[in-house]
Amino acid sequence: MIRHALLVLAVTIGVPAHADPSQNPVEVLKELINSVDSAYLTQSDQNLMMMEDNPALWTVEEGKALFHAQRGPKNVSLETCDFGMGPGKLEGAYAAMPRYFKDTGKVMDLETRLVHCMTTIQGFPADDPAVKQRHGSDTDHMKLQSYITAQSNGMPWNPLMDHPLEKAMRDAGEVIFYRRAGSLDMSCQTCHGTTGKRIRASVLPDVNVPQEWTKAISWPAFRVGHQETRSSQHRLRGCYWQMRQAGPVAGSPATIAVLSFWTDMARGQPAILPDMKR
Amino acid sequence: MMSRKTNRCATASAALASIVLILGGYTATHAEEAGKPDYAKMSPEALAEHLILESGSFDLDQPAQEGGTARDRMIQDNLQKLCSKVRNKPNAEQAGQIIAAARASIQYPEGEIPLGDWKKGGDLAWGGFGYRLAHNPDDHSTRDPSGNCYNCHALSPQRTGGDLGPSLRGYGIIRGNTEATRRFVYEMIYNPHAYFPCTHMPRMGAKGLLSQEAIADIMAYLLHPESPVNQ
Ligand code: HEC
Ligand code: HEC
Repeated sequence: MIRHALLVLAVTIGVPAHADPSQNPVEVLKELINSVDSAYLTQSDQNLMMMEDNPALWTVEEGKALFHAQRGPKNVSLETCDFGMGPGKLEGAYAAMPRYFKDTGKVMDLETRLVHCMTTIQGFPADDPAVKQRHGSDTDHMKLQSYITAQSNGMPWNPLMDHPLEKAMRDAGEVIFYRRAGSLDMSCQTCHGTTGKRIRASVLPDVNVPQEWTKAISWPAFRVGHQETRSSQHRLRGCYWQMRQAGPVAGSPATIAVLSFWTDMARGQPAILPDMKR
Repeated sequence: MMSRKTNRCATASAALASIVLILGGYTATHAEEAGKPDYAKMSPEALAEHLILESGSFDLDQPAQEGGTARDRMIQDNLQKLCSKVRNKPNAEQAGQIIAAARASIQYPEGEIPLGDWKKGGDLAWGGFGYRLAHNPDDHSTRDPSGNCYNCHALSPQRTGGDLGPSLRGYGIIRGNTEATRRFVYEMIYNPHAYFPCTHMPRMGAKGLLSQEAIADIMAYLLHPESPVNQ
């Protein structure tokens, strides 16, 4: 009950009425489920029920406080950080990431952009725990990422592809997605290239079905099996581990290329942020 | 050997691309200042190779369980390269070449193909241990690597397996525990591209992932009349 009250609080603050980030993400998911016949989307009634009180909504709240707090050696907030829509403008920003940033000359995902702002604006050293620790609901990263992404809840994924580097990274990401390597000859396609297939007991999302793929790429999500809020980069690392390939470096260009492709494959479908996963 | 050559080739063409750019009076970007090639001028394939092998995107120096490093895992062999390129749909000519190469890769035990211990084979078929790297590398000195079969196949009626591959429930009853079946199953485990070019199924024998003993045990799990698979 308390959680419910908090949820209402969490989603009513500072969000204009015309967009829909204020919707409970579970409603976005339910609309998707009604729009398509998908074994992946419907595999867990239990998760659907639990999502009403998704613990990741707390992480969003904590991230909100952290985002606006004056922190770091320079004692300033992140309110001047530009995630692509202008300084401090968060609404819909994540749905268009990864994207090209003029100030760094690079295509950046949310995690690397956050690192950029924490180190340049707030003056955190790169090895400060606030910057370095990426995994777990208690890290600054998961809190901030959860808050920033929640401002794109319900909005269609819309990576720009205006700058040549955005297109180049997306296209390289596609090649990487289909590139078989490692001990087991696997690529991402092995497990995410057909509809309704199971690895063990889990139904896997199909990259070719945008209504499934939007849920697949909606991170941060609370992972019930881990009892933690997890990021896109964490998911990617897990899949490379299963494939018996090399461990990806978070925020590295290859990971951003994959994220560029995976976001493009969900284009037009509403983001579910924060989500809940197995 | 081949894959290393092509890899060098990709790097060379990337280098060439940046030379062409400089000569072309191109305005320098941040990337170029740092001495990196211009991603926007590379083909998606060349950029992908560059990102994977030359950009520090992966922990390529991590030691691999089979010897060598994670870098060797990321460099594609001929089969991986071809199947990736055609997205696992080879044309008739390519399929013929893949099948021939796969057949040539298969090494057989001396004499008849043996069945091992189906109980051990069950553990191996249902296990996912082995060859994982990254943040949580498998230590092969504690345990032998397993077969991962359950990820893709239904096996015994008691447990849920995956369905990326066909159900193997009752396999021994349906196929019969004959020399011909044993040969087929051995070849499938060793290198399934001999029958299904660009299949999703791994090459457990050809890549040295499973020992002869482990293969024999897993075969027993599929074919032995007392195995849960055949109840
Ligand atoms: C061996 C099979 C396998 C391969 C290969 C694989 N994945 Fe996954 N992937 C999984 C499994 C299993 C899950 C988690 C599903 C679950 O636990 O319900 C998953 C989850 C995901 C998800 C989140 C969806 C969810 O519901 O949790 C994304 C996105 C994803 N993988 C992307 C990738 C990418 C990108 C690659 C290639 C770099 C890849 N995967 C390779 C098996 C695989
Ligand atoms: C990544 C998924 C995957 C894994 C892991 C895997 N297989 Fe397969 N297997 C397949 C697929 C897919 C097929 C069907 C061939 C095709 O169409 O590509 C298959 C086919 C087979 C067949 C032939 C079935 C028939 O039609 O008679 C056998 C036998 C088999 N697998 C045994 C095994 C065993 C034993 C293991 C574990 C050592 C294993 N497989 C691991 C995917 C897999």
